[in-house]
Amino acid sequence: MYGVTKVYPGDVVALDDVYLTVEKGDFVFIVGQSGAGKSTLLSLIYRGTVPTRGQVFVDGRNIVRLRRREVPLLRRKIGAIYQDFKLLPDRTVYDNVAFALEVIEAPPKDISRKVSQALEMVGLSGKATCLPDQLSGGEQQRVAIARAVVNDPLILVADEPTGNLDPETSNGIMALLSDVNCRGTTVIMATHNQAIVDRMRRRVVEIEAGRIVRDERQGTYCHEA
Amino acid sequence: MRLRTIATLTSQAVRNLKRPTCMTTTVVVMACMLALSLFTLVAVNLTVIGRQLQAGVELRVFLLPDAGPDAVASLERSIRAIPGVSRISYVPKDEALRRLEAQLGDENGLFIEDMPYNPLPDSFDVSVRRADEAESIARRIQELEGVEDIVYGREMVRNLVGALRVMWAATGAIAVVVLVGASMVVANTIKLSVLAHNREIETMRLVGASDAFILFPFVVEGLLIGVIGAAVASLMVFAAYSLLIRWIGSAAPFLKLVADPAWLASAALSLVGFGAVVGLSGTIISVRRHLRVDVQDV
Repeated sequence: MYGVTKVYPGDVVALDDVYLTVEKGDFVFIVGQSGAGKSTLLSLIYRGTVPTRGQVFVDGRNIVRLRRREVPLLRRKIGAIYQDFKLLPDRTVYDNVAFALEVIEAPPKDISRKVSQALEMVGLSGKATCLPDQLSGGEQQRVAIARAVVNDPLILVADEPTGNLDPETSNGIMALLSDVNCRGTTVIMATHNQAIVDRMRRRVVEIEAGRIVRDERQGTYCHEA
Repeated sequence: MRLRTIATLTSQAVRNLKRPTCMTTTVVVMACMLALSLFTLVAVNLTVIGRQLQAGVELRVFLLPDAGPDAVASLERSIRAIPGVSRISYVPKDEALRRLEAQLGDENGLFIEDMPYNPLPDSFDVSVRRADEAESIARRIQELEGVEDIVYGREMVRNLVGALRVMWAATGAIAVVVLVGASMVVANTIKLSVLAHNREIETMRLVGASDAFILFPFVVEGLLIGVIGAAVASLMVFAAYSLLIRWIGSAAPFLKLVADPAWLASAALSLVGFGAVVGLSGTIISVRRHLRVDVQDV
């Protein structure tokens, strides 16, 4: 991101002249208070929003200038997971994961194979026929992770994925994200979870009032003096 | 888009049709189409009856008593040359008297025998192609030399032409009202459908579904609502119309309603086509307003 500023209607400045480069295969925590601009920053990566000023490059391409019909092609390279999971309540676990491949018209054989692999990776092979309501919060988030990674994305964007989960379940989710990262996917995760950030010791980018105030390799949640 | 995907999305649209709002909208579209098809049938039949009556519109052109054979021949040529005149025949005064005698019958015709001379003038019977041209043709004939008077059913022709114009104008207005009204109802239904699938649409966008993929089920849903509504209306109307034709055929055989099977089939198909247009218009209105949100809103 180069000189990115995002101003929402009502002159609400979400990001202010942000410069950030994330290398391929990196694992980055975005930390900061609520309203600091973390979600906006993530949203800019999958073009959920466009900057008021500045440029955003993903995989070498300036995505600010993408035409409308090119946006889906960008999003197929990016997996996204959220605090509220965003699962379809009337579809089974299998169908929720398969959905990500169906919408890009993947061949049925590939769908079956890839969904099975993704569910195995997140440890939910035995619950493929369950509906989301029949699962715990942690299991639902694992379904969301399976859906996000089933298409082998270049980047995984996670917006507070452990926000609604207990510490033990959160650790399980983080283990999964680490696993995804080890397979070569870049992971960018916004979080408030200090324990996780301090334990994992990955790159930490801190945002305050829309500006990057800290960017540390193997950082912690709070700045170490 | 692949055939398998089209089949999947179409079956999703068909499932959506089972929702109560879709059912209600289909019934509303059907009612609109019923009104439109009834008006069209009445207008078409009145036009056909009108044409039959128009074909019978005849001007009787009375000649001045002193018109000689050359003047009559010249007048006949002049009238025949007027555009819109389909047929002209000369009726000498003796022939006119014989016709009058025949019309009056044996008893009433007796007084004719007592008349000292034939008071009727020579005349031309002039047929016109279109009733609405009768008045202008009569004016042109009146200007010709040797013509004393012209008689024809002026009021009847005026009323007939006026009634047909009103009928077709009303049918056109109904078509516009149906197109706009039914499209708006379909638009609202599709809007509800879009809202019901909001979460699904959001997820589709996030995982990289194309606009075509997202829009397709709603387009099919709107199209099906229009087509099914129109098809049911068309079946009902034309079944009832077939019964009416049969009944009229025995009860009032002099009334010739339009009964050509090829015409009826094409009318039914046109109605279904119109239903498709209504469904698609509604969907486009709704989708433009509620689905094709800008990227900032995702």
